[in-house]
Amino acid sequence: MTERRPTRPFPPMGAMTSGPLTRRRFLERAGLALGAVAFGPALLAACGSDDDSSSGGSSGSGGGGGSNDIAISNWTSYMDKPLLKVFEQATGISVDYREDVNDNNEYFAKIRPNLSKDQSIDTDGFVLTDWMANRIINTVEWAQPLDEAKFPNKVNMSPALANPAFDPGRRYSAPWASGATGIAYNISTTGKEIRSIDDYLSAPGTKTALSEMRDTMGLFMLSAGADPTTPSYAAAGPAFDKLAKAVDDGEITQFTGNEYVGDLGNGDIAAAIAWSGDVAQITVDNPDVRFVIPDEGGMLWSDNFMIPYTSEKPAEATEFINFFYDPANAAELMAFIQYISPVVGVADQLRTIGGEAAELADNPLVVPTEEFLAGLTIFGSLDDEQEVRFDTRFAEISGSG
Amino acid sequence: MTDRDDEGRKTARVAPWALLGPGMIFLFFFFFLPLYTLLRMSLSSSESRFSDPSFTWEWANYTEAFSQFGEQFFRSFLYAGAATLAALVIAYPLAYVIAFRGGRWKNLMLGLVVVPFFTNFLIRTLAWKTILGNEGVVVSVLRTLGFLAENEGLLRRPIAVIGGLTYNFLPFMVLPIYVALEKIDPRLIDASRDLYTNTWGAFRRVVFPLSLPGVFAGSLLVFIPAAGDFVNSYYLGSTQTTMIGNVVQNQFLVQVDYPVAAALSFVFMAIVLAIVTIYARSLGTEDLI
Repeated sequence: MTERRPTRPFPPMGAMTSGPLTRRRFLERAGLALGAVAFGPALLAACGSDDDSSSGGSSGSGGGGGSNDIAISNWTSYMDKPLLKVFEQATGISVDYREDVNDNNEYFAKIRPNLSKDQSIDTDGFVLTDWMANRIINTVEWAQPLDEAKFPNKVNMSPALANPAFDPGRRYSAPWASGATGIAYNISTTGKEIRSIDDYLSAPGTKTALSEMRDTMGLFMLSAGADPTTPSYAAAGPAFDKLAKAVDDGEITQFTGNEYVGDLGNGDIAAAIAWSGDVAQITVDNPDVRFVIPDEGGMLWSDNFMIPYTSEKPAEATEFINFFYDPANAAELMAFIQYISPVVGVADQLRTIGGEAAELADNPLVVPTEEFLAGLTIFGSLDDEQEVRFDTRFAEISGSG
Repeated sequence: MTDRDDEGRKTARVAPWALLGPGMIFLFFFFFLPLYTLLRMSLSSSESRFSDPSFTWEWANYTEAFSQFGEQFFRSFLYAGAATLAALVIAYPLAYVIAFRGGRWKNLMLGLVVVPFFTNFLIRTLAWKTILGNEGVVVSVLRTLGFLAENEGLLRRPIAVIGGLTYNFLPFMVLPIYVALEKIDPRLIDASRDLYTNTWGAFRRVVFPLSLPGVFAGSLLVFIPAAGDFVNSYYLGSTQTTMIGNVVQNQFLVQVDYPVAAALSFVFMAIVLAIVTIYARSLGTEDLI
């Protein structure tokens, strides 16, 4: 997913609703996404350091090369920093925690030169979305198994996530967080509720889709009656045609990362294919913005923790993920990042924490109900040849292929 | 005596090479070598998607680059041309005023041209999204005046992309033109007045021809990076305004097709070279520089 930034928990309402702050956050966020692509990690670090007041940059510890130091790469704002300190104190492992994953493809391009030549990337763990995890584990085989002995909390992993096709038994990966892809819209612009992709396409005003192929195509395949769990290029034909027509007719004008966040809030965009966690944030600012899983279904994805084969500290890296599979810790983390936890028992823990965290326990975007999950589908894996065809056609439609 | 002459001649022969040395070494490592790697890559193919491409004289990459992305190539050069023209129209009078009427404010005014560009390139581009947005001042004024229909906006249209390009590369047009104008001896203008030309005539026959090297340099400094830019099109444009930079980015990062991305870059360079040559010929730049 391109640069997802979950919301910080329980911001003071005043701070969240002030216009300039919202715009500033939007600028920084979009800046981050593109900065990563255009200007490389240096700018990324520069941008990232002032946009998250609680982060204080990469937490000062670690990186010293001591025997207990590990380095972890994750998406921006996917970590509760005080909780990281607790981990360091509890285990004596110091973590060089980096928020340098902004886009699956971009991160892959970054690690490829080293990992394809047996060179270390100075990272002991990274977090990537399902389909990219499939590529890392099965296609290029750059992951090494997690250290089962150091992962006793694996028993807490949600059964629904325990046996994905790309990693049966979760030997090489552990989900960090999950989220849903659906449609976000500003009802003051659309003038009506949106329940399906067809509603979305016929709504007045500017509409955008996600540049992440599987998210946009997943929704369009469901809408065209194709099954994204076992995707094939042939079966996706009508869905591609539908998307192409929508673009040609000017219904969809742009394919974006999460820049739609700011544009939806201020009414520049009427509707967007969007990620659940992003929208939770604007809904607080602007009750006109709503998020819906289309009647035909939405997409469910997870970001997965993996250890690159070049890491010399798989045991310590596994201890890291093990810590976040303790339900109490997982609840703290989810209260902060507000995505769906892969850990069983988080809802109860959230209620134990009480206050606003307890309210999250009733939010299906954080603690999904059976009904909510029933509407969601996981995009199945594509082999190389199929993936090329999907990517090429999608690029053609979005104007850059 | 003869010895010293010989020595002097030897020095004269060696010195230019010695002086050229550091530049040549730099060019070799940071221009020719990468160019060679790029050329090899553009003629390579890979067995599977993620295996390292190997050199196989794969001319099909060029066929693909030419045949599939003609539209984006055309659009890139069209937009870059329009942006160069717009930048020239804005920059020339500005540079003229600074050079001839700036007086003691000259340095301050030049500073003001450059200072906005201390802000990050990306942030400046994103700011235009807000300025040109449907809720922004520009759109509401244009709607009130009737230039835009009620549901029409400016973003995601070619004009937004061209405007962004013009804005982002404007100083590269202003500065060379300023330098060229600044060098002109004011007495030449006085002389032309003595020969009974009017202000317009003096400009057309004296000032403008003498400023052409600046115009030439400025046009290239705007045109070339603008044609390769992908940021403005990505953020201010739509699916109908994608440029070749967006294609290269997609081929490189998403499709992981390095050979085609390299071939695209080569085709791009070749077209730029051709355009620049034609432009230089038509301006008669050989005499100017």
